[in-house]
Amino acid sequence: MAAPQELADLVARVALGDRQAFRRLYEATAPSLLGVALRLLRDRGRGEDVIQEAFVSVWHRAGGFRASASAPMTWLTAIVRNRALDTLRSGARHDADLLVDDDDEDEDATMEIEDDRPEPLGLLTQAADALAVRACLETIDGSQRQCLALAYYHGLTHAEMAAHLGSPIGSVKMWLRRGLEKLRRCLERAK
Amino acid sequence: MIYDRPELLDRLAAEYVFGTMIGPVRRRFERLRLTLPSAEAATVAWEARTAGLARAVPPVVPSPGLWNAIDWSTGGAGAQTIAKPGGWWSWFAPVAALAFGVVATLGIVRMLPSAAVPVDEIVQARGTLPASYVGILTDASGAAVAIASSTRHGRTMSLKVLRPIEAPPGKVLQLWALPKDGEPFPLGVVPREGKGAFEMADTSERLLASVPRLAMSIEDAPVRPGATPDGFILTGHCVKLW
Repeated sequence: MAAPQELADLVARVALGDRQAFRRLYEATAPSLLGVALRLLRDRGRGEDVIQEAFVSVWHRAGGFRASASAPMTWLTAIVRNRALDTLRSGARHDADLLVDDDDEDEDATMEIEDDRPEPLGLLTQAADALAVRACLETIDGSQRQCLALAYYHGLTHAEMAAHLGSPIGSVKMWLRRGLEKLRRCLERAK
Repeated sequence: MIYDRPELLDRLAAEYVFGTMIGPVRRRFERLRLTLPSAEAATVAWEARTAGLARAVPPVVPSPGLWNAIDWSTGGAGAQTIAKPGGWWSWFAPVAALAFGVVATLGIVRMLPSAAVPVDEIVQARGTLPASYVGILTDASGAAVAIASSTRHGRTMSLKVLRPIEAPPGKVLQLWALPKDGEPFPLGVVPREGKGAFEMADTSERLLASVPRLAMSIEDAPVRPGATPDGFILTGHCVKLW
């Protein structure tokens, strides 16, 4: 991953209509952003559509990027997550667990996404390790942690989480709310 | 003001960023971000806090064609690499794009008959020709929000706002042209609702002939030529109808 300053410079050049910078920004960030989109959408075609829309939007909106307000990767991730969440909620199939393989267009070249991808709770723990806040994360109640991970990485709604966990929706809302308060403290410690 | 409690905005922003805020509530919060700086700041703070969570996700290499599709969509040279010189695509692509624009426009006109009247009627009533350039501005969900139109050799851009556009008090809604090659340039100021019009710097034929898209931004004041837009809230196709 390119350094934040390097990415900020590329975004500034994109705002000036520099197509070479646009390509370099794409090459530096698209794999990470596609990973984020695919966690939510679990369908390569829809994930790549989201990345395409996001970069077209970046081409037109790069002038609106404020380096003082956000890191470039944070800004790009937010654009991709918001588009992916909109796609996810647009009524299209949510629990599609099939993902077309990277380099094979054969119809049977599909794989179960859950087979080779970490569970959302595992990702949350990995993130806490990388941010050196694992101990803090572990003070958060297990149900709350589970809700945080399912919402952030899989894009589940309150109702979907309730169904997934077999718990009342009221409990899920409370776990998530308390979990967010505690997670906030942990993430602020990471700074 | 119900949103003057920082802890409430913070909670709403967290739910927005985590994606558990859904449907019309999510759309309203997105509008609130545009109009209330504290809502935007709370959202940006949660986006920054959760940046480390996104970094844990393993990257996935995109398909080789994805860059070409992006390059083509933004008017780059990728269009030439996809289209072999002299191949059928080289003439079909612009025709298909124009046909799509016209079909989309006619679809809107059919849905909103008050937005247009028959061409003959205008010619007979005014002795002038109807709009040649038409732009339809849509929001993030693809819903039409405003229509901009002008005659080919006229300097007046007429506007019809289909749904009131929210912007903070004291700010203006600025319409931009996004040329195929080159920087966006300002066209004029759009009313927040109802109908309006402004005089352009030149005729639409000279200004818009190579402008496939229009966009709208929220600005402190009407911008001068050479200014940079402050992020777009609406964008849409601009087509030449005749």
